[in-house]
Amino acid sequence: MKQLNEQQLNELAEDLDAIHDEVMADVGERDAKYIRRMIRLHRTLEVGGRAMMPFGFIPPVFAAAVGSLSIAKIIENMEIGHNVMHGQYDWMNDPSLHSQTYEWDTVCTGDSWRRTHNYEHHTFTNVIGKDRDYGYALLRLSDDNKWNPLHLFQFANYALLSVFFQWGVGLHELEFERVRRREIKLSEKAGLLKDFFRKGGRQAFKDYLFFPLLTFPVFPIVLAGNVSANLIRNLWSSSVIFCGHFTEDAETFTEASIENETRGHWYLRQLTGSSNFTGSKWVHILSGHLSHQIEHHVFPDIPAHRYREIAPRVEAICHKYGIKYNTGSFGRQYWTVLKRIGQFSLPDRVRTRLSAPAAA
Amino acid sequence: MLSTVNTRAPLRWLGKQLFNRDDPGAFFDPLLAALNPMWVRGFVPARLVEVTDEARDTRSFHLRPSPRWRGFNAGQHINVIVEADGVRHHRTFTIASTPRQWASDGTVTLTIKRLAGGRITNWMHDNLCGGEVMGVSQAFGDFNLPETDRPLLYIAGGSGITPVLSHLATLADRDVRAPVTLLYYVRSQADIIGAGVLYALAARWPALTLKIFKTEEEGEPALMNEAHLDSVTGLDARQIYLCGPKGLMTLAADVLNRAGVAESQIQTTFFSAPFAVAADTPLGGAVTFGKTDKTVESEGDAPLLEIAEAAELKPAYGCRMGICHQCSCRKNSGTVVNRLTGKASGPGEETIQLCISVPQGPVTVDL
Ligand code: FES
Repeated sequence: MKQLNEQQLNELAEDLDAIHDEVMADVGERDAKYIRRMIRLHRTLEVGGRAMMPFGFIPPVFAAAVGSLSIAKIIENMEIGHNVMHGQYDWMNDPSLHSQTYEWDTVCTGDSWRRTHNYEHHTFTNVIGKDRDYGYALLRLSDDNKWNPLHLFQFANYALLSVFFQWGVGLHELEFERVRRREIKLSEKAGLLKDFFRKGGRQAFKDYLFFPLLTFPVFPIVLAGNVSANLIRNLWSSSVIFCGHFTEDAETFTEASIENETRGHWYLRQLTGSSNFTGSKWVHILSGHLSHQIEHHVFPDIPAHRYREIAPRVEAICHKYGIKYNTGSFGRQYWTVLKRIGQFSLPDRVRTRLSAPAAA
Repeated sequence: MLSTVNTRAPLRWLGKQLFNRDDPGAFFDPLLAALNPMWVRGFVPARLVEVTDEARDTRSFHLRPSPRWRGFNAGQHINVIVEADGVRHHRTFTIASTPRQWASDGTVTLTIKRLAGGRITNWMHDNLCGGEVMGVSQAFGDFNLPETDRPLLYIAGGSGITPVLSHLATLADRDVRAPVTLLYYVRSQADIIGAGVLYALAARWPALTLKIFKTEEEGEPALMNEAHLDSVTGLDARQIYLCGPKGLMTLAADVLNRAGVAESQIQTTFFSAPFAVAADTPLGGAVTFGKTDKTVESEGDAPLLEIAEAAELKPAYGCRMGICHQCSCRKNSGTVVNRLTGKASGPGEETIQLCISVPQGPVTVDL
């Protein structure tokens, strides 16, 4: 990682804190209007999608219904749910937008997410062994993990994870790899499993049972439509999330390196461990502004639509301290993620030999 | 139809499955609010029908709550939910009108004075002119009329008159015959709240004796004292209601005590509308944990998370540095200072992060 001395780290913290305080002092009406507009859009798309779905025997209607429902789910998960649970709108004092009680339209329970994501992942970002979001304990993405032959198949794992992403995230806190290594007992996770089945059951009941049965004669169409909407949401959100930390140059850290970490160092780690992608306004909105993963990681509780505005300033600060501001088009960033998954599926000897000419 | 969603168990269960929330009826609020704000389910909406001037810095806000509102007894309060600059604020006000008025035209009146430094009272005066929709809670409070008619004495000060207005008008409507005396303390003539109502009551209702004392006008007797009780006949038999700012309440309790009035005769309502603490109030204060009903004293810049843990509570937390919001929790009342920004919060109910919130004066949190 880019090394800065004590004084530089303090200055970095000051510079970033200044942006944070300035934005938070300005947060108000505009942000409330923004998130309310998003929520209205979500409700409209969801109601519209569900209402159109039974008429899906007309192909263009089916496409519209699936599009509408999947975009509704994407907006709810990414721009509303994820950001609300980060406390970005706690200041609004609206109980239905409260970070600690919000429950989103996906299998993972809000509580489990708040623990694994808001706390573990955002505090220990990219620290191998502590941030289990790093590769989701399924993928080998750096040489901090030892290679074994099973890693040869990690591309298939990756594809499965993307398809069933909401279920994977829902079970993330189970720490199955540690259960398998007998480091923890399954019984310790009983509460989590109960919540998982309750919430997962609820999600499945709604999309795969209730709404199809409600429209009985056309239930195969409604079922197929709901499955498609969930699938589209899964593929999109997993791709966005993978682009946030698994791109080519996103750095990883060791547990030792974060002992007695200062605020400046924490900031530095967030800046170097995250990566952005560029795109139109709607790409940002549909990604829940995780396209601004860097800004999100330094300021997780600033209302996300502001990231777009402050990005140039964050980038300028990165330049000032010679920190790489990792960004590129969605396509390019995603390509580097795929490359990384592929490269680290190979034994280190093969991998270094293959990538050597490219580096030269 | 939506109203049944929250009340019928099977529908509620289904609503929870479909919308992932305990108040499924409110799922459609964002759409309903856009169509007609009086249709929302998340709180009881009330339309502000009119705003009238009452006294210096004091206005009456006439509200018509939706039919879901369950009514009130004279002397009760409600919480009002208003949204100012994107932030929802809760403030408690006393209803100044009578249950009879509500029964006849569906309105209730809140008589509200601008508080020096009060963010919301001033905002309401400056921004509301009628037609807006706000939220109201169900009524609460036990500043109730006596069950049977008996001689009464009210001692009120400033805007503490509001529950008394509701009491008196209700008694007058019932044409109660037992003597009722009101000693009302205001700064000056221009500060009399509900003057019109009071004078009209005194004119039509012989049982009422009305005495208004202007504490800052020349030639008037100053603060409350024994002599003011002279005209109150049969003091021993009276039930006494105190309602006003803290200074007056202490003083009145003292005077009554010396006049030999038994404690049990007196009923008090702490009319201390929450107001922002002065900027130079030292950090620390009494912290009350509402759910467990524990109160502990804190000093200096200890954040609420540490104070709660020292009191052997176990609130949820994560980073302990203000990032993750795991520790977010409801504050019911009081002012806290954000350690990171140095900014003070408002005095009402709101969400705060325990790990970076330092009490400034007494605070109640929902733990
Ligand atoms: S514990 Fe993380 S914000 Fe308070």
